[in-house]
Amino acid sequence: MNTSRAGAAGAIAIGLLTVTACGGGGSADGKMHVWMYQDSLAVVQKSAVERFNEDADIEAVVDEVPGDTYQDKVRTVMGSGDQPDVFFNWGAGSIQPYVEQDMLLPLDDALESDPEFADAYISSVMEAGKVDGVQYGIPLRGTQPVILFYNKEVFEDVDAEAPETWDDIIDLTDTFKDEGITPFALGGADAWTEQMWLQYLVDRQGGPEVFQRIQDGDSEGWRDPAVLKAAETVEDLVERGAFGDNFASVSYTEGAASDLLAQGKAAMHLMGSWEFSTHLDQAPEFAEEGLGYVAFPALPDGEGDPANVAGNPTNYFSVSADSEYTEEAVEFLKTTSSEEYVQDMVDNGEVPTTTGAEELLKDSPDPDFATFQYEMVQDAPHFQLSWDQALPPEVATPMLTEIEKLFNGQISPEEFVDAVAELQ
Amino acid sequence: MSTTALSRVRSGAAPRTGRPGAVWALPGLLFFGIFAVLPMGLVAYLSLTSWGGLGAPRFIGMENWSRLAGDTVMHKAIVLSLVLTVANWAVQTPISLLLGVWAAGPQRNRAVLSAVFFTPLLLSSAAIAIIWKSLLDPNFGPLAQVGPWLGYPGADVLGDSTGAFAAIVFVSAWQFIPLHMLLYQGGARQIPESLYRAAEIDGAGRLRSFWHITLPQLRHTITTSSVLMVVGSLTYFETVLILTDGGPGTDTSIVPYLMYQVGFESWKTGYASAIAFTLVVVATAVSLIMVRLTGFGAMRSTKEGM
Amino acid sequence: MKQMTPAPPATPRERPADSGAVQVPDAPRRRRRRPIRRPNLLAGAGVFLWLLVVGIPVYALIIATFQRSSDYRAEGPLTPTGDPTLQNYVAAFENGLLGFVLNTLVVTAAVVALVVFFATTIGYAVIRSRTRWTSGIFRVFLFGLAIPAQAVVIPVYLIIRELGLYDSLTAIVLPTAAFALPVCVLILTGSMRDISEELYEAMALDGAGPVRTFLQLVVPLSRSGISTVGVYAALQAWNGFIFPFILTQSHDNRLITLGLFEFQGQYRVDIPGLLTAVLLSAIPIFIVYLVARRSLVNGLMGVGGK
Repeated sequence: MNTSRAGAAGAIAIGLLTVTACGGGGSADGKMHVWMYQDSLAVVQKSAVERFNEDADIEAVVDEVPGDTYQDKVRTVMGSGDQPDVFFNWGAGSIQPYVEQDMLLPLDDALESDPEFADAYISSVMEAGKVDGVQYGIPLRGTQPVILFYNKEVFEDVDAEAPETWDDIIDLTDTFKDEGITPFALGGADAWTEQMWLQYLVDRQGGPEVFQRIQDGDSEGWRDPAVLKAAETVEDLVERGAFGDNFASVSYTEGAASDLLAQGKAAMHLMGSWEFSTHLDQAPEFAEEGLGYVAFPALPDGEGDPANVAGNPTNYFSVSADSEYTEEAVEFLKTTSSEEYVQDMVDNGEVPTTTGAEELLKDSPDPDFATFQYEMVQDAPHFQLSWDQALPPEVATPMLTEIEKLFNGQISPEEFVDAVAELQ
Repeated sequence: MSTTALSRVRSGAAPRTGRPGAVWALPGLLFFGIFAVLPMGLVAYLSLTSWGGLGAPRFIGMENWSRLAGDTVMHKAIVLSLVLTVANWAVQTPISLLLGVWAAGPQRNRAVLSAVFFTPLLLSSAAIAIIWKSLLDPNFGPLAQVGPWLGYPGADVLGDSTGAFAAIVFVSAWQFIPLHMLLYQGGARQIPESLYRAAEIDGAGRLRSFWHITLPQLRHTITTSSVLMVVGSLTYFETVLILTDGGPGTDTSIVPYLMYQVGFESWKTGYASAIAFTLVVVATAVSLIMVRLTGFGAMRSTKEGM
Repeated sequence: MKQMTPAPPATPRERPADSGAVQVPDAPRRRRRRPIRRPNLLAGAGVFLWLLVVGIPVYALIIATFQRSSDYRAEGPLTPTGDPTLQNYVAAFENGLLGFVLNTLVVTAAVVALVVFFATTIGYAVIRSRTRWTSGIFRVFLFGLAIPAQAVVIPVYLIIRELGLYDSLTAIVLPTAAFALPVCVLILTGSMRDISEELYEAMALDGAGPVRTFLQLVVPLSRSGISTVGVYAALQAWNGFIFPFILTQSHDNRLITLGLFEFQGQYRVDIPGLLTAVLLSAIPIFIVYLVARRSLVNGLMGVGGK
């Protein structure tokens, strides 16, 4: 085995050379590549690129990357020397690793030199596009707060009203369970759907400060009593049968959770606002007539403001620092506040995060729902970015696993707190 | 044996023997070196670094390894991988052996049935995992209808630790039994007929000739098939990714899946390399032991007088 | 150096070229095999059970591809729909499935070509070269048998990245071929050992150098071994998941396995659409199966050696 040992030694030597070598930036085909998360909403960005190409000296192209593994793909390509010039992301923790490697273009200068651009977006939404106080992301999408959806018909059948308080939630759970209807649809095969519950519960219990501390890197923040209380609430809900007995194998991404609600097999569903478009696409009649929506209720003795919202404030475009087209890219970013762009978003059922978009909302496919969302976000003292996007992936991935275990009853609330506190 | 130098000179012309030099192996060896051996060395090196896939790896010595030693998720992953390997072997070997021996027999409907049994081989692992995921859906699949009979009233197979693990064992059996059945079919066809005749004359029944003739005669096939199963089980990945995503919790996070998750979702690439290197060591050890015990792949020189 | 024994009378070309590795017994012997005594009820029941295990999912798969998404949700996949539709097939083609299949075919062909080239040259060197390197070379591949592709995917990604091949079909071909090589070298050396010493000597007497010996003797006589290797490499390439998953990204370079995985995310609620893509992905192999059933099956049997 001498040969293979010598081979290994050589391999390490070559390895040292290769991994420390730096890749040059940008694709070589002379086009500005814009990476988008592939879904039905990406048409807005595609037409924006078309408009951009009419006036620009260079050609921009949209590369659509399929959803589930989007972030992993971005991370893979960012290291490859073949990175996109502009790419879709969730701001905050999702871009932090790139900022640490100086791979992103700071946008502060561009904003300062163009006040109109700077003031175009709701300020609470701009916040999540910052890392360490520096702006790296520009909002590109509508806002996506997490909302409690319900099936009106099922509620009428049992003569129930939409929940306004936590007591209502508990009562409704018991009511629907007795009727043989799953009280809340939950796609437990995708742990981020469970995370939505926990982040609302923590916020309602202890306010946004609790998670802020964690996000700032203090892992002891997980030991805040509010986290334990929230985890105990989850345990209680699961034991009450709030999510039915097979939620752990229900998939959200395959549409099973949404179907349960639409078919009346489940009464409620806590989900991002995009759920409305999903139903509009799959079961239009249900979306227009049968789909109700309310904000997440307050908890008894909770310190958090019930007007707070969790979810994705929006998505962001960031620019690669070593792109050949940084100037053009910034110009392109500015188009996301243009009238045509915002109009496209509204027509597509999105709720823009630009200031003064209110009057455009009447053009939305469902003006009531759009206005509900816009006001919810506008009035929110705090918009909590989804935890798994707010934290860097090193922490977010194992955190989601622990949340899944908590919901599955594989660990107790106390064990959950210990496990997540040890992640950082 | 000639010296290396001499044979090198000969390899160019080699006028009388026509023997090739070791040079013939060089292109293949180089190719294999770059894409298989070099990566092994790199894995070992990266396991000593802290690296997130961006920038340069930072050398941190044995830190990853000491963390790995105390990582309960990793311990569990190793146990799960080993249990999966044993379970796969225990489920697949008897079924494929029996089916293979049966298919080598003279029955008239054999050809048709063998063709049906062959179908899973037409599908890729990804395709098979997707099919079973839809079949095992707790609300909208056939399982929702038959689940209650099988002891899963909520049809929550994939959400249940034992159920999810059993599903993986079952799906891999579904996928790989056809291949192993073919191996055994090939092996059984080569058993000389005369052995069975002799046994028949001795008055041996079906069971006894199976036990005393078929099984011993198939021992090489059993070895080959077992090595393939073991190495295959240790590196099982797509099915877990698609079917259970390592869940519920980490209850089906076998070593290759854990490596993927740590490396390409959490981006702790250095740590993932330590996991990967462990996998290499375990897989190598297991196959070397099997090779040693069984003589599989030895330099079985038949006609060369070495 | 050992001297050769006297030459045999025949030159290789005059010999029947059929002493390859996989010896499928001749037909008459099979036909005469074990006169049917009494029907084996136990075997029959077992086979029937397995027929259900394989048949029901395949049936559900086929039925589902003709269902509308809403019908599938409402009725489940076990009852044939009263209102069959072809829209799933149309949608699959519109989503670029054909392009994925073409990419996969290109990759498969390239992998098979590389593997066959390297495995035959290495096999020839290992069998016939007289240098002391060859047993070392053979050991490297034996050892390589145990390297799981999953474990080294991180450094393979690095190497591909440094070669500037990230997100290209070549990026998939190179490591896939490298990791198929060990098994293929083992199979081919086994197969080549069966070529008799006399034939080599005859070639040498003819004045043939290694290249001519290789092309006129070794390759033709290893045909069945080569077809086994080809089948094995093709299956590896066709089913490959981890390399395309990590090493490519764009729609233009997508292979079918990954296409399926990503359809899974894209289709959301449309299970029949997804299953249609799954079914279509099996069609190229199905065609190969229909055309070359015998050699495919024999090739697979050959993977097990003797």
